[in-house]
Amino acid sequence: MSDTKNDNLDNKKPEPNYWKSFNDLYNDPNFLTSTHDEFKEETKEDFDPNKLSGLSRRKFIALLGASAALAGAGCSNYRDKGEIIPYNKKPEEIILGEPNFYASTCTSCANACGILIRTREGRPVKIDGNPDHPVNQGKICSKGHASILNLYNPERYKEPQKNRGGYFNAISWEKANNAILNELKKGEKEIALITGKIFSPTTKKLLEEFKAKYPTTKIYSFEMFDEAARNNAWRKSAGGNFFPLIKWDEAKIIVTLEGDFLGTEGHTVENQRLYAKGRDVNNINSFNRLYAIEGNMSITGMNADYRLRLNPAAQAEFVQLLISEVGGSKSINRNDFVRKYKINSKTLELLIKDLKANKGKAIVYAGNVLPEDVHIAVNHLNQVLGGNTLYRTDAAEVEQLPFSNKDELNGLISAINNNAIGAVIHIDTNPVYHFPKEYNYENILRKAPLVVTLTEVETETASLSNYILPLNHNYESWGDSQTRTGVVSLVQPVIAPLFNTRQKEAILLAWINQDAKKYSNDIYLNYLKKNWESNFFTSTGSGDFNNFWLTSLHDGIVFTNETAPSNGGNASASSGEMKFFDNKGMTLLIQEHPNLGDGSYANNGWMMELPHPVSKVTWDNYAAISLNTSKKLDVEIEDLIEVKVKNRTLELPVFIQPGIADDLVVIESGFGRTNAGTVGTGNGFDVNRLISVYDAGLSKFIYTGVQVRKTSGTYKLATTQEHHTFDEGYTKDQHKKRGIIREGTVNEYKNNPKFLKESKGIEQTSLYNLHAETRFSDVKWGMAIDLNKCLGCGECTVACNAENNVPVVGKDQVIKGREMHWLRIDRYYSGSPDEPNVSAQPMLCQHCDHAPCENVCPVAATTHSIDGLNQMVYNRCVGTRYCSNNCPFKVRRFNFYNFRSYFKDDYQMSDVFSLVFNPEVTVRSRGVMEKCTFCIQRIMKAREDAIQEGRAITGSEVKTACQEACVTGAITFGNIKDKESEVGQWKEHDLTYYVLEELNVRPNISYVAKLRNTHPEEV
Amino acid sequence: MNIDYAKELPVIEGNPNLIDIDNVIVKPIEEKANRKFFLALAVSGTALLIGVVCVAVTLFYGIGVWGNNQPVGWGFGIVNFVFWVGIGHAGTLISAILFLLRQKWRTGIARFAEAMTIFAVICAALFPVLHTGRPWLAGYLFPYPNQHGLWVNFTSPLIWDVFAVSTYFTVSLVFWYVGLIPDFAILRDRTEQKLKKTIYSILSLGWRHSHRQWQHYEKAYMLLAGFATPLVLSVHTIVSFDFAVSIIPGWHTTIFPPYFVAGAIFSGFAMVVTVLIFVRRVFHLEHIITLNHLEKMNKVIIATGLMVGYAYGMEFFTAWYSGVPAETFVFVNRAMGPYAWAYWIMISCNVLIPQLFWFKKIRRSILPMFIIVILVNVGMWFERFVIVVTSLSRDFLPSSWGYFKPTIFDLGILLGSFGLFFTLVIIFTKFLPVVSISEIKAVVEGSQPVHHQPTDGGTHAI
Amino acid sequence: MQSNTLFAVAAQFNEPNKLIKAVKIIADLGYKKWDVNTPYPVHGMDAAMKLKSSKLGYVTLFFGLSGTALALLLMWWTMSVDYPMIIGGKPFFALPAFIPVTFELTVLLATLATVIGMLSVFFNLPNNSHPLHDTNYMQRVSADHFGIYVEADDKKFNAEELRTLFLSLDAVQVDDIYVPLKEKYPILQPKFLVFLTIVFAVTSAITYFTLNYLLYMEPFDWMVSQAKVTPQEKVETFRDGFGMRQPVKGTVARGFLPYKFMGMPAPAESLVNPIIPTKETVELGKRKFLTFCSPCHGNFADGDSRLRGQFQNPPTLHSTRVREMNDGMIYHIITNGQNAMPSYAPQITREERWSIVNYIRVLQRAKNAEVTDVQKVKKEPVKNGQ
Repeated sequence: MSDTKNDNLDNKKPEPNYWKSFNDLYNDPNFLTSTHDEFKEETKEDFDPNKLSGLSRRKFIALLGASAALAGAGCSNYRDKGEIIPYNKKPEEIILGEPNFYASTCTSCANACGILIRTREGRPVKIDGNPDHPVNQGKICSKGHASILNLYNPERYKEPQKNRGGYFNAISWEKANNAILNELKKGEKEIALITGKIFSPTTKKLLEEFKAKYPTTKIYSFEMFDEAARNNAWRKSAGGNFFPLIKWDEAKIIVTLEGDFLGTEGHTVENQRLYAKGRDVNNINSFNRLYAIEGNMSITGMNADYRLRLNPAAQAEFVQLLISEVGGSKSINRNDFVRKYKINSKTLELLIKDLKANKGKAIVYAGNVLPEDVHIAVNHLNQVLGGNTLYRTDAAEVEQLPFSNKDELNGLISAINNNAIGAVIHIDTNPVYHFPKEYNYENILRKAPLVVTLTEVETETASLSNYILPLNHNYESWGDSQTRTGVVSLVQPVIAPLFNTRQKEAILLAWINQDAKKYSNDIYLNYLKKNWESNFFTSTGSGDFNNFWLTSLHDGIVFTNETAPSNGGNASASSGEMKFFDNKGMTLLIQEHPNLGDGSYANNGWMMELPHPVSKVTWDNYAAISLNTSKKLDVEIEDLIEVKVKNRTLELPVFIQPGIADDLVVIESGFGRTNAGTVGTGNGFDVNRLISVYDAGLSKFIYTGVQVRKTSGTYKLATTQEHHTFDEGYTKDQHKKRGIIREGTVNEYKNNPKFLKESKGIEQTSLYNLHAETRFSDVKWGMAIDLNKCLGCGECTVACNAENNVPVVGKDQVIKGREMHWLRIDRYYSGSPDEPNVSAQPMLCQHCDHAPCENVCPVAATTHSIDGLNQMVYNRCVGTRYCSNNCPFKVRRFNFYNFRSYFKDDYQMSDVFSLVFNPEVTVRSRGVMEKCTFCIQRIMKAREDAIQEGRAITGSEVKTACQEACVTGAITFGNIKDKESEVGQWKEHDLTYYVLEELNVRPNISYVAKLRNTHPEEV
Repeated sequence: MNIDYAKELPVIEGNPNLIDIDNVIVKPIEEKANRKFFLALAVSGTALLIGVVCVAVTLFYGIGVWGNNQPVGWGFGIVNFVFWVGIGHAGTLISAILFLLRQKWRTGIARFAEAMTIFAVICAALFPVLHTGRPWLAGYLFPYPNQHGLWVNFTSPLIWDVFAVSTYFTVSLVFWYVGLIPDFAILRDRTEQKLKKTIYSILSLGWRHSHRQWQHYEKAYMLLAGFATPLVLSVHTIVSFDFAVSIIPGWHTTIFPPYFVAGAIFSGFAMVVTVLIFVRRVFHLEHIITLNHLEKMNKVIIATGLMVGYAYGMEFFTAWYSGVPAETFVFVNRAMGPYAWAYWIMISCNVLIPQLFWFKKIRRSILPMFIIVILVNVGMWFERFVIVVTSLSRDFLPSSWGYFKPTIFDLGILLGSFGLFFTLVIIFTKFLPVVSISEIKAVVEGSQPVHHQPTDGGTHAI
Repeated sequence: MQSNTLFAVAAQFNEPNKLIKAVKIIADLGYKKWDVNTPYPVHGMDAAMKLKSSKLGYVTLFFGLSGTALALLLMWWTMSVDYPMIIGGKPFFALPAFIPVTFELTVLLATLATVIGMLSVFFNLPNNSHPLHDTNYMQRVSADHFGIYVEADDKKFNAEELRTLFLSLDAVQVDDIYVPLKEKYPILQPKFLVFLTIVFAVTSAITYFTLNYLLYMEPFDWMVSQAKVTPQEKVETFRDGFGMRQPVKGTVARGFLPYKFMGMPAPAESLVNPIIPTKETVELGKRKFLTFCSPCHGNFADGDSRLRGQFQNPPTLHSTRVREMNDGMIYHIITNGQNAMPSYAPQITREERWSIVNYIRVLQRAKNAEVTDVQKVKKEPVKNGQ
């Protein structure tokens, strides 16, 4: 401002009506005076140069310089501070230190959720859901959160590789493509294109073009876990190729049969969201009741109001029982059934009552692992229970490319065996691991003259192929996807390929063009745009395509005006004669692992170290059996057993899992990778050894008449929670006795909303003085966690790892009890080991007003901020660990090593890996204590914005990473002093309680007690 | 041997003349060290070296090489710290409290006990530094004006520790040194070699045995004793605050201060006896450090042992009486939980076995005495282990319960601390008079004048 | 190396009783400068020598109390004045928690003061060149004899008398003690000074090396350099070393739909100004204008560049052409650039660009304000700038 004044003096041409600012315009007197004598502040009349000190300015400067030089020479250190590299052409959208957001699509699994990628200076740093996406509505699963780690995996292939007899070395794309094209052009033998689930319309089109170009091509689409049984069943019972989605939010009674719709099956994100709508304590009358009839203890079972332990092989009989009971034809004797399977008759009684009472509002869901005939029966049962009222009509699944069925795959194998195959091309799949070992795929693969694998990282398959073509990660690629009617979503890259990689579509294009030289980075982009212009633009089009294209990219999604086709009307067809289970011998159940899925995420440290939601085991899978079974087999936890199905055997450790049906062994998939990079290799045991395609059991995943025997030796499992799962005596139900977990039933709450507060006298008077309160600013951060909505899945944990640079520590450290997760999900069992009640509780720093950790820190490295945060000052911490000792919640985490360098010698220290770290969060060194900060970096960002806009910061504008991640919205965060805000209201809620209240540490995280929706008639 | 406890025993058996006393006590210093000395030094030195290696590894790789984990943030580090501080209590107690109580028999053992105090505190002081995650920042623990403008948190028990331990060390060092001044003078006047003479002259601060010096000297000694007494009590009280001030069940108890102090004296005396048994044999001081001394100390041991036993019982009572589930749980868990073995070692070594001292025969015979005091030391180490580890391993939230397993490095450092302690002790016996010469002289029969005047001070002030 | 100036006459006795007797007599004779030397404190000597009791206690008391005060002051000042922090909801001055430290400091100061006081004040400083040292007398009294001596410069001193007196009290031995010759200590020799300087140099060198290099090696970690990538940092992973990447061509970030008319010199249509000129936005526009535009366009958009002809002057923005331009067009020029003017899109955010447009409008209006405007403004004062 000042220099404008000066200039104004220099070129004196102020015209009469020449105003410089509004103040001027409105003749503000102060302003006028200020404009008259410019140097008012600067000078005085009694200014006398002689009074100045003798030391001339020049001399002074000289001296100053000299002393500075001296000081510099003396005290400076010459360690290299690194060079500064600014943008030479700064992109418009990037402001240094400010994040950008790009809408894209997650391709980690077939659900293809819409995502919003946060980038900093053009580098992706965090993945979150795209709020505009109609299906996942701003949320994604833990795999999605963790996928960023795969992008920066230092072991990704950086160049195409050629197999020179066992060992690989890099060659150029051109050479590789030429070699492959030669084989393809021959074209008399079959070209087998093996791919995973295809959900991109454009990719599908591309594959068809490829097929057109090379007519001998056969496309095999394969995933280890598919919904074949369910879909075939639907085809049989209702016809039609569109399979119904369920209105979980409208169901009053949900019955799952060995089905984990909250954990692993279907579109879990959507399922969880819809299910949680029926778990809202503020809308108590819309509470749903969840019955889980299962042998395994799944996430769904964990959250069930009632659980029946039933051998999966008996499900067929059970469905028949229900049909007969509900349908009124008592064709099956309930008591016989109860006696045969020793299930809780009371619960069964209630279940049947409920089903009868709630026709039209009850849905039965059978798990993917169950055989086809059970599904048919279930469809029939649902029909009986009020038709398709609970089937969604607004949207339906879209299947781009159907999975190859068993026969096709067997065909492929025999084709390879008979040397009828010219080339096998694995497109981002890993059949060597995923195919049942029965196929002996790894050996017969040698018979194929050309094996090409398109992959990001080394896999069992890659290591057996002639050429390995490195793929872009999803966040380096273009693409689109459609899994639902009415919406198509786009994939756009957020960073140029880190290495010399290409995306699979581009590679296929090159092969179609039959020109190894011609390649440009946007080769597929152009193809994609062309396809969109011809297909999607016209379908919704208005305005010019470019505009449409850009806005679509911006939003990440496009709504097409296609309507959901009918899903074939009523599924009246009842299943034919079903073979019932004789209930003899052991049964084997193979389930999808809730964290690792089919094992494609085995090389992802975050997922590996994420505790299993139920058992809390990390880094391994195991044979889960019930306590009784363990006694029968006379095995302890961690003893090795051998599971034998026909001639297929697998040796693995035992884990005694409460709530599992007797005489049942449950093994989860995704482990036992032999060639999955540093992190993924050699954890757990490969369950594919037990799967058979030829002599199928009840289904691909259920086998009866299994022999199990104890072998010698034990195997250490790394759990983040000691297993006092079935402790009797003085350790039993401590969490209840100490008021850590406080629960009630819906009826209790209906009768007396205040029952919780009255149930346990809460210490109101305090020995402390109230200094703390008086010293807080008017924004005081706090969190409320609704245990009714928390499913215990652990997505929040992964999101927290990603946001806060939490290191992976490795199995041995987890065994020692040194895992670093800032946010953990505590899991408690109460009741008997056979019929346990499971309670999950997210536990993170409680940011107590009277924080015990602060008092004991000798160096004041942890203190309280005036907005109620319990702060951790990393630089000041000397690491006495006293704070952690004195923390009643044990949420503080100590860097016993520099885990980044400790874990798999320096794996996490590599240059590429360091790109994953959030620039806003300190990367802690060893010897430093750390803990949840309530994502203070986000609070600070919000505060900066508020200051910039010249307003006060409001509680609602900050979202913590865990809150953002929680699909069911169990976590709310904000200013607890603002009674109107959501969190403020939770604090007032009748069901709100604090953990270990009697300690009077005054936590700022409150929990909403879980209500179990028990049947009113239950005493 | 029949002793009539009615009349006070002569502090020194036989009636050596003053020169003999000089000769006996100064002998090890003036003579060349014999094989026994180097053997002992070799043994303790090896232990020390092992410790040093383990420490080096710890410093380089981090506390991770120890067994500590979540939730057991404090393992051997703090256990050893408390243990050694405890050992350190006997010395000042003997030299100060017994001095104020006019216990003549202390003269024989005071010097040695004080020396042990200092060495024990040195051992203890190492651990708080070593057990931190970033030991090179240990300076942060002292309130000095720094570029961060930050000060320490004076409400933290660890800061109290810093002050308590450093004060305790300084004061006992001063106390010890003041006691040594006249003896240095004696050495100075005995020796002929130039170098030794210079060193002793400097150390003796120009002491001339003149009575005008003795007068103030005695006054000062009295004052120091007067301060050391509350200090010694305060130090272990404050150490116990590390636990008592926290909120962890099993730590948060008001009984801790007296209980810890008693325990400290208990273990301290045990350690003194352990070492004295050797010293009096090796240096032929049986007539200066007599069986009566040892017996008296054994009596103290049994007394304090009973106090400790009482504390154990009382803890259970208060836990049960409080009705706090977590609190009661911890104590049941100690006796029955995964660490029951440690608990029962503690009980048997600290409460049951010392009861044998009720028998005079055992009190006065070396071998059983030796075995018992060793066991007492073991027991007291386990007491600290039980307090620190069991309480932490299973605190409020069952979800975060864990089990602490020490690693080779934990054990190595523990061994090393013993190595350091005994190395220092051995060096001490070689270069300094293990018994205060002037004090002994003052209590020899007929060393004091027979007074006739009423002006007689009458006090037997030593 | 003894001078022949007599220091004292000293006698040795072999029994404390004899000494006491002698002491009493000497004391009664009224000597002033004399003392006894005994291998251990002999009881009743104070009385015999007629000594007043020691004043050492007062020193202790004084420093003890000052220790207390110091501790409390320190803790009060640091915890509640200099750097107050909320710790565990405790008050800033939590007296109960301060007691232990207070106690320890009291004891510390008291004891140290006692000892130092004793040595300095009451022994008037250690003196190893005292005449008594290295005498046969000293050796005897420190072992098993009981000595007494009277100094020569005592008024009543008479060597002969004393000798006879002592012998009469059957002293074992009586001898004269002479003042030793003072020897010079070669402290300030040049050799020594050189030595000092070398020591200084070496130590400072070592300190420098330690502080700058040693302390930043493994295992020391100060978290100064962290694995994360901060803005403008170099990253080896990328071939070009740029830690900050360019977004992939053709991607669209949220809120950054590319500007339609980018690169067109004169687009047919143009955007509509989304920002209402409120006082805030215009002030923002003004700030940005003065930062980015004024160097060339002049502070009032007269085209009077402040670059003083180092760069060609742009035309004034008060020309009718510009005044008749619609906002969108001006925005286009700022965004896209024109003639010599480069695109300012990277430097100035979209909102700011629109605000600048608004401010330019204000300037234009100001330059050509009608009288009516002024009256209007006079009539109804502050009305958000428009």
